[in-house]
Amino acid sequence: MPFDPVAYAIPVFVALIVGELLWVRASGQRQRYEWRDTGISLAFGLGSTVIGAITGGLTAGMLVWIHQQSPLSIGWAWWAWPLCFVLDDLAYYWFHRTAHRVRWFWASHVNHHSSQHYNLSTALRQSWTGFIALGFVFRWPLAAVGFEPGMILVCAGFNLIYQFWIHTEVVDRMPRWFEAVMNTPSHHRVHHAVNARYLDRNYAGTFIVWDKLFGTFTPEDNEDRIHYGIVRQLGSFNLLHAVFHEWIGIARDVWQAPWRHKFSYMWREPGWSHDGSRETSDMIRERWSRRENPEG
Amino acid sequence: MDSELLLLGGSLVAVLLLVGMTWLLGFRQQARLDSPAEAAELVRLAPGGFEPVEVAMDLEGKAAIARDRDGRLLVLVPHGNRFVARPLPADCSPAYKDGKLQVSCEGHPVTLDLGAAAGDWTAADSAVN
Ligand SMILES: [Zn+2]
Ligand SMILES: [Zn+2]
Repeated sequence: MPFDPVAYAIPVFVALIVGELLWVRASGQRQRYEWRDTGISLAFGLGSTVIGAITGGLTAGMLVWIHQQSPLSIGWAWWAWPLCFVLDDLAYYWFHRTAHRVRWFWASHVNHHSSQHYNLSTALRQSWTGFIALGFVFRWPLAAVGFEPGMILVCAGFNLIYQFWIHTEVVDRMPRWFEAVMNTPSHHRVHHAVNARYLDRNYAGTFIVWDKLFGTFTPEDNEDRIHYGIVRQLGSFNLLHAVFHEWIGIARDVWQAPWRHKFSYMWREPGWSHDGSRETSDMIRERWSRRENPEG
Repeated sequence: MDSELLLLGGSLVAVLLLVGMTWLLGFRQQARLDSPAEAAELVRLAPGGFEPVEVAMDLEGKAAIARDRDGRLLVLVPHGNRFVARPLPADCSPAYKDGKLQVSCEGHPVTLDLGAAAGDWTAADSAVN
């Protein structure tokens, strides 16, 4: 890849994390960071760049191949850039929604969610196993309709960079017009929450409009204190456990399940079980609303 | 290739510096519960749901134990400066030792100082169902 915007953004990421650390320390909120948690998150980020360097050629090669087969070719026209960015963000929305609703994809994406903290270092908690999870297929349609593979990858890079700054509790709310259109710290806090009514909401990358369009938007309610992480918290600072726990869980379930249910443990939603012994996020939400409104 | 190695080396140094800075700034405190109400809130988030009928908090807020209507027990164990909710298996019975409640099963050993007002959290009492 000739130009990788993420590489140039790394010094900015580091500077902003330093800034947030000093800010929360000065305001006395010493629960906002945890040094081992930050270590795990940053190790995830570092490892994912190494793995990205190895698999990046393959991912780009597949986009080039699809682009060559396509009868359409948009080229490098200036107007293609904003269009590509918006459509790539739409593709990201569907990738991300699938990453939460199909366990095979979740096994990789869970890496991003397994911290009980929500700060700028959490943003760098990027999966190591995204390639195995096949997340890259969601960008294929862009190459198929004629966008240049290089353009798609640069747009994807800028999308990732945008999502960095929203991982913070330091920013409460942005101006109303901004909150209406863009993904913000407030919207994305909801996405990282384990509170029942916030589960599987706000999948947006850059533009929150996709969630509003496809019915997955929930605004942050200041009454409800947010708890971050995953439904079954890791409770461990072991990096390898954090990377692979859900893949191991899939392997165990597929091994133990009756034959006709084996495949379901890979493609059904996280928490699905053939005997109803576990809870999906929909079941958790339903249980919660029954408790809140016993009448209904 | 050289620029990639430089990027990797630089990033590694940055990671070590950031983690060191987090440690130096004191982001390494023990988790602490403010109130039994906070403990109950965290207990309810446990996987599968847990509706506590009784919650006891360690005197210093370092951990908590809860019981539901069916007599099942759940402990909140500290993990860094956050808590993790862990339901105790039916065959796990906490025991008092030197005036403190000790839970030694489930891979999360935890000791709770419940003070003078300590209820009975040992197995005999929890078998109310
Ligand atoms: Zn997510
Ligand atoms: Zn995030």
